[in-house]
Amino acid sequence: MSVYITSTGHYLPGPAVDNSQIEAHLGLIHGKPSRLTKRILASNGILKRHYAIDAQHQTQIENEQMAAHAAQNCLDAVALEARDIPLLSCATSQGDRVLPGFSSLVQARLGIEDAEISTSHGICSAGMMAMKYAWMSLRCGEHERALVVGSELVSRLFKASRYEALTQSSPDFNSEFLRWMLSDGAGAWLLESRPRGLSYRVDWIKSFSHADAFPTCMSVGEPSDSQDSRTWQDFHCYADAEKAGALLLRQDVRLLDNIVKVGVDGFLRLIRQGLITPDKVDHLLCHYSSHFFKQKIIDMLTRAGAMIPESRWYTNLYERGNTGCASIFIMLDEFRRTQAHKPGDTLLCMVPESGRFNVAFMHLTVVE
Amino acid sequence: MSASLNPAAQQCLQDLMTVWFEFERRLNKVPIIKRLEHGQFTQKDYLALLFNLRQQVIEGARWISRGASSFDRDYAEVRSMVIGHAREEHKDYLHLEQDYERAGGQINDIQQGKRNTGSDALHGFMMYRASLPNPIDLLGAMWIIEGLGHKMANNWAQRITELTGLSDAVNFMRYHGENDDAHMEKLYQMLDSVCRDEHDSARIAATAKVVARLYCLQLECIDE
Repeated sequence: MSVYITSTGHYLPGPAVDNSQIEAHLGLIHGKPSRLTKRILASNGILKRHYAIDAQHQTQIENEQMAAHAAQNCLDAVALEARDIPLLSCATSQGDRVLPGFSSLVQARLGIEDAEISTSHGICSAGMMAMKYAWMSLRCGEHERALVVGSELVSRLFKASRYEALTQSSPDFNSEFLRWMLSDGAGAWLLESRPRGLSYRVDWIKSFSHADAFPTCMSVGEPSDSQDSRTWQDFHCYADAEKAGALLLRQDVRLLDNIVKVGVDGFLRLIRQGLITPDKVDHLLCHYSSHFFKQKIIDMLTRAGAMIPESRWYTNLYERGNTGCASIFIMLDEFRRTQAHKPGDTLLCMVPESGRFNVAFMHLTVVE
Repeated sequence: MSASLNPAAQQCLQDLMTVWFEFERRLNKVPIIKRLEHGQFTQKDYLALLFNLRQQVIEGARWISRGASSFDRDYAEVRSMVIGHAREEHKDYLHLEQDYERAGGQINDIQQGKRNTGSDALHGFMMYRASLPNPIDLLGAMWIIEGLGHKMANNWAQRITELTGLSDAVNFMRYHGENDDAHMEKLYQMLDSVCRDEHDSARIAATAKVVARLYCLQLECIDE
């Protein structure tokens, strides 16, 4: 049974924050400007982003509310009601509450009755996990319709006060790196077993995780001292965990290059399996998380004759920010609304995740 | 980036990239490299690593020069490049021995060391392939060895220094980064000139795969 993305939606909180406002918004740590901001922003290429916290660090909208707004935006576009949704599959790296699962709370916000729910937890690729659950449910005839939502509210982790709580006087590079990379937002897709106007047939979804072969690269829950093997709940109290840096979002920058290799590896596998022919991909939507990686990917694929011409690449990373697992949803939504495409066109969506190295791919064909 | 490769060489490069990615993941699971990646690597580990590498590196010039002599007149240009490569690297092991001493090892120990089981298998395989007529598949071996040089220079050397404090004893690894881009450029040129069809491509990738597996075996044997 074929499955189609028949509607898309998004929600980005507050006004766009440009590079000159970003540090004032997140706050100066101990009153001092960071020495890393310019360097990291130049490398990731992001120009604007949105935050769910204001410049006084008050949360203006919860993660589950953003997810519900994106879902509603998606349903409104096709005049459906929440009660029409039998399956809700949501992803986030961090809900507003540790428990219960994120989908329960999004369901409650939307007021969907009697739904089946599924929550996918992870980082950037969690959205594709949620998508695959929904896609397979429709493929095997369990449901005829599903709503998939990816939503992230990461800015609460980046308030200056988080870093001021540390015992050490200033944050290390690895714990500050993502402060200048990630931002907030939500996106949603409606899946149905029949197309509705201009729709995307979901041809396949594949992913390859290499957690067995690499150390953790992006995490929350590990203290700043890499020799300390405790995780956040092993500390005497949460205050001690915070002082040790175990509640900060950190990136082991040393390992980051591996994300390019893992992405290219997955891409070459799919070429070998006959699922991708680079010449025949009309649009590539790649969540390449940072501009820094783009040139490396292009160099490798060009040399090996596996490049999708750059004119076919689409991203809104630079204008909407890197919103983790929500990015690919927000990206397809904007692509759909703003970019020319016609029935028969093929789209390849690619979502690499540096957490512990996973990469997900999805192939779509435009139908009418 | 230089001129593009012919289609067979491009296909071969895709396969070589895949072999390399798999090799790197497999390497990360080899106990001594796992300790390095996870920050548990000690000075003793470094001495053991150098000791075992040296027994293979000192034989490296043999398979490269043997390989050069196996290319006939139709491959004269490739032969010249391989000879050049052998000349550049035939005394590599001296850097390695110096590092061993600086890291606290005794020179006599490393010089009298024997090849471990993996080094034996790797050396034997290389000499066998290098002895066959026109051994273009040695490019697959070079792909792995050059790739390792790059990895050592850009990743391992710094990591070893961080973990052991031995900043003046990583010259062998660092050295391999210096002419890296030029080496890779030469390798791409050779690939373009010798890899002409599917058969060539498959041979080169197959040899890369075997060398990658045997290299891991060599490192696994350090902990045995």
